[in-house]
Parts: sequence; C-alpha cells; structure tokens
Amino acid sequence: MPDSPSTIALIGNPNAGKTTLFNALTGANQRVGNYAGVTVEVKSGEAFTPHGRKLRILDLPGCYSLRANSPDEKVALDALNGLLPGEQKPDLVVCVVDASNLERHLQLALQVIELGLPCVIALNMVDVAERAGLRLDPAKLAEELGVPVVPMQANAKKGIVELKQALRFPHPTAPEASWITDGTDPETARRAFVTRLCELVARRPDAHQQTLSDKIDSVLLHPVYGWISLVGIFFTVFWAIFSFAEIPMGWIESGQGALGAWVESLMTDGDLRSLVVDGIIGGVGGVVMFLPQIVLLFLFIGLLESSGYMARAAYLMDGVMAKAGLSGKSFLPLFSSYACAIPGIMATRTIDSAKERIVTIFVAPWMSCSARLPVYFLIIPLLLHEKEGTWKQASVLFAIYALGTLTAFVVARLLRGRLGEDISPGHFLLELPPYRKPQWSYIFRHVADRALSFVKKAGTIILGLSILLWALSTYPKMDGDDEAAALAHSAMGRIGAVIEPVVKPLGFDGRMGTAILTSFAAREVFVSSMAILYRVEEAPSEEETRNVLRDQLAASKWPDGRPIFTPLSLVSLLVFFIYALQCLPTSAVVARESGSWKWAAGQFLFMTGFAYAASLIVFQIGKLFGF
Amino acid sequence: MPHALATDLKIDSAMTLNQVRVGCDVQIQVLSGPGCERLRDLGFCEQLQVRKLAGGRNLICSVCGTRMAISRELAEQVLVSPVG
Repeated sequence: MPDSPSTIALIGNPNAGKTTLFNALTGANQRVGNYAGVTVEVKSGEAFTPHGRKLRILDLPGCYSLRANSPDEKVALDALNGLLPGEQKPDLVVCVVDASNLERHLQLALQVIELGLPCVIALNMVDVAERAGLRLDPAKLAEELGVPVVPMQANAKKGIVELKQALRFPHPTAPEASWITDGTDPETARRAFVTRLCELVARRPDAHQQTLSDKIDSVLLHPVYGWISLVGIFFTVFWAIFSFAEIPMGWIESGQGALGAWVESLMTDGDLRSLVVDGIIGGVGGVVMFLPQIVLLFLFIGLLESSGYMARAAYLMDGVMAKAGLSGKSFLPLFSSYACAIPGIMATRTIDSAKERIVTIFVAPWMSCSARLPVYFLIIPLLLHEKEGTWKQASVLFAIYALGTLTAFVVARLLRGRLGEDISPGHFLLELPPYRKPQWSYIFRHVADRALSFVKKAGTIILGLSILLWALSTYPKMDGDDEAAALAHSAMGRIGAVIEPVVKPLGFDGRMGTAILTSFAAREVFVSSMAILYRVEEAPSEEETRNVLRDQLAASKWPDGRPIFTPLSLVSLLVFFIYALQCLPTSAVVARESGSWKWAAGQFLFMTGFAYAASLIVFQIGKLFGF
Repeated sequence: MPHALATDLKIDSAMTLNQVRVGCDVQIQVLSGPGCERLRDLGFCEQLQVRKLAGGRNLICSVCGTRMAISRELAEQVLVSPVG
C-alpha cells in the first residue's frame, strides 16, 4: 500500500454537480452556482475512505469534451494528463454525470476511459432523472462500460458513503474502451455506443415534456415580458441594496460612535488617544460601515446564479452584448464585476474566443465594483443636499452604474474592432439549466467569505493606511492652536500642496488629491482618508459619523472663501471614481489572466488617464456654463 | 461528413434548424460546418430528436432533456427533418 494519499480527480460536464460533490466529500465550502463555469480553476481538498485512508480530491473545471476548446477545459485536460505544475497524474478519476442527461454526459465519460485512467462513474441527480420519468439501470451501465457506477444525489448527501466505498484501495483497474475498434473513427464509435447505452439503461418516455422551467421561461425569455422582468429584477436588486442596508448601517454607525466616545473617556488627551480615536476608529470604522451593502450585493448575485436566472439573463443580453462586440458569455463576468472585478475577470475563462476574453478583461473594472460604493454613498447625499436613502439617490446611483457600463461597452467595441476578427468565429452556445431552489447554505457561506475578506482588508490595508495617514497629518508638529495651520505644516499638508496644481483643474483641493492618492491602494481608503484629513478642520465632534464628515465637507472652503465642494466638483469627483482603476489586486489578476504585464500596465495607465481627462472635461466645461 | 447525393431523398428534403417552426419536433440528419464538433459535445448528435422552443437571434432547443441556447450561425449547421 503506498504511503502518499491517492489523488482523485472529479470531472464532468458543466452543471453536473462536481462542486456539490466535492463539497460533500471534503466538507469544504467551495462556491456552487447553477451556471456553467463557476469552477474555473482546479481546487483540491481532503477526504477519507470508510477505512480511514486519506484521499486528495481535485475539483476540475467543467468541460464538454477533452478537446480543450476554452482555457478552463484546457486546465481540466492538463490535470488529467498530470501536466499541471505541482500536480501528479490522478490515480483515479470520478466522472460526475447528470443521470437526467446521459446522452450528453456519457460522451465525456467515454473520452476519460479512453485516456486509460482508472475511473468510477458518479451517477448524480438520480432524483431529477426519476422525476423526469427516466428508468435508470446503473448495474447494466456498469457492466457495459466496465467501470463501477454509483447512483447518487450529491446535494442531499445520498450515495456519498457508497462512492467513498468505491474509492477505496486498491483502485479498479483502467477499463478497456470496448467501443474503439480498428478502422472506425473514434467520434462515430463513441456516439453509436452512447446511443445504444442510453437505449439500454435510461429509457426516456418523452424527452420534450413541458417542464415547469419551460413555463417560467416562456415568460422570462419572452421578447417583451422577458426584458421587463430583466430590468425589473436588476433595478430591484439595486434599490434593495440601497434601502435595506440602511438599518444595519445605522447600528454600526452608532456602535462606532459609542466606542469612540468610550475610548475618549478612558484615555488622557495626547497623541495616543488621537491615534486610536481619530486614526483607527475613525478610519477603519468609516469603511466597515459599508459592509451591509457589500453583503447584500453578493447575496443577490448568489441568489440569481443559484436559481438559474443568470443563464437566462446571459441569453437575453446576447443581443445587447453583440453591439459591444461581445457575446452573452461576457455577461456573467461583467455582471460579477459589479460586485468585484477580481471574480469577474476570473470568470472570463469560460469565453471561448481569446479576443473577446481580453476585451472583457480590459473593460471589466469599469463595471462599478462594490469598493466604489463607500465613495458614492459619501458623495451622492452631499450632492443632493439630502439625508441618505431616498429614491432620488437610487436614481443617481443607477445613472453612475449606467455611465460606467456604457463607456465600457463603447471602449469594448472600439477595442474589439482593432483586434480584428477571430480566425474561427466562436458562436454563442449556452446551457439553460432548469430553475432550482437556491442552495441557501452555500450562498450564505459564500457571502460570509466575502464579508470576512472585506473585514480582513479593513483590518490590514485600511488599518495600516489609516495609521500612516494619521501620522502624516499629525507630524511634524507645530506650536499653537490653529489646526488648519498645523495641518498645512504637517507632512500631509506639504504633499497636498505639491499635488494641488495637478488636481486643481479637476476642481479638487490638495487634501482631496492626497485622499485620491491613498485610494490607489484600495478605493474604500478614500472615505477614511477624507475622514482623517477633514476632521482636523473643526472641533472634534462627539460622534464620528459620515453625517458629520459630510457637514464638514460642505463647510470647507478655498482660501478665498469659495466652497470647495460645489455640485460641479462633486460630479467631477464621481466621474473620476467611475473611471479610475484604483485597485492593485485587480491589476495583478489581469496580468495573470491575460498572460502579460503589458495588458495590466496598459489598462492601468489608460483608465487612470481616461479618468483624469473625463474629470477635467466635466469640470472645465461645467465652469464655462457657469455651474 | 458524408456527402449528400442528389438522389438521397432524406437529406434532400432536410432543412436547417433555423427554418423549423417553433414548437416542432425534428430529427437531426447531418451536422456540417466548422462548429459541428462543439455541437456534438453539447448533445446535438445525428439521429437525436430535438424540439425547437424559441427562435430569434439565438434559438432555444430541447435536446436530451436539456435546454440549450445556440446562435443562428450554429443552427445553420444542423440539418434536420421533421418527425412523425
């Protein structure tokens, strides 16, 4: 018996339930979607056989064949051949097939058997197949193929123990591909064999029964009602994010105010108290406040994906995306980018056309990501002179998203034109999975993961920058009580003075310039920078809230007495944040996914230059018209 | 792919998936064109029955119990004949 754990690879068509099975086997909580291409990389985990032997489980991206048409399929093929760096050839392959769909899914299983790897077939979703009226015969299938077949229902954890039994040592030997005979084309032979198999083991009464999904689709994919539903659904999502988040945000706000006041009463006046109250609580708290919105956005995206609606949206959007030179396949990556550009850019791996993929990666950061929300939520109410959470603000937010998206489409179209046509045109092809009940536990875990990573970011990057900013705006110290003069004397004041000529044509002062500079590490930092930079202006307030910051911003003036934050300079600031690429992790992912630093650097320079130019145009033209 | 003879009635009377009316059941006769490997992977194989569920810019077909959306260009490469 070998000492090292056996490596077991899970492979199957998209949507066969590989990741659900992976989670059930390993107890991990990888994200599961009801959309082809949720798994785009190989993930590994550990499981144990009933005899306690350790197994390494690899979850491979879904693929329709082993011909490697798109990057994620290539990853799967390389993993099976042991070509992935750091991975050995798997000792056993578990082919996950959807029992309700054997005609299609068995094609892949046969190809895996032809590779000569030992193989076990996990006949998943037997419940769905039985409900569709299929009569399955797993024993007959096992006999015909010469491999163990385990009927199961991975989402209800049925059949997991049986599958683990089948994975015990020694593994079954690699079966012979009995359908391959000399002289025939393997493709034709495989097809004929699958057709014969399906007649034997899965008799289908009527393949085209009108299912519940079809009835729902007749409305949701209707040329008129479909579009109404699409716009309705996405507008509701935005509105809900804006209004539901209010309540928990209020709790965080008051909790933070209480914490600040409590610490203030505990410590004696001095630099340390200033660091804790102004620097740490003010800086980090200002960003943590946006946690509810981010949680809601990921929750809704998870819901749409898990229920199966996302594929319908991609189908409907194909015509719109074609106007930008893209296809419906670009819709999910671009829509995910509204939450965060990083998973969005990773999701482009499902796009077959290399050129379409690079264009999608290039414009994805213009889909306003959730990190920009804190900035928008700070500025929009200031612009409208209103309290937070009105429908007017929702409309402005919608307009901001629309502006970013439209520009992305125009640029995508221009760029696509420059890159030229594909050698072999990739055509739109998408599976519309049946509507399923959302898998709540996975959605919640996924949302919790994202929330945790946001809080982690607040605890590391944002905490670090908050302390740094506090130090820069406090030292070197100056005698006297004039706080404005003390700030001008500090290191930060000096940096601001240097930057001011660069940002003044956009309508910003030196402090805003400095805050923008810090936001290149992460956009959310802008809010905490502004909090730290502007609160020094007036007497320290009791509560550290955004409302106070907003009041302070509204009251701040240029040296000649004009207010800094006119509606025009605020619009200019919004435009800058819509367009600027201020996210280091995104650039790193772009470099990795596009395979060259040139794309990442080019994208960064182009977007930042574009943001500067757009703000400049908005502010200067606005000034000409007398705003 | 097998070449269609002028006398081969079955292929002669075939039409593309684009020409099929919505709601009709058809049997796939021949796949021809650059996209046919991809189509076979997705379950569009010779002799299988499909039902066209929606037309338009992209078609929706029901094939082996799955609903697939495919572009007109791809549907043009699927030659079918009516069943029953």
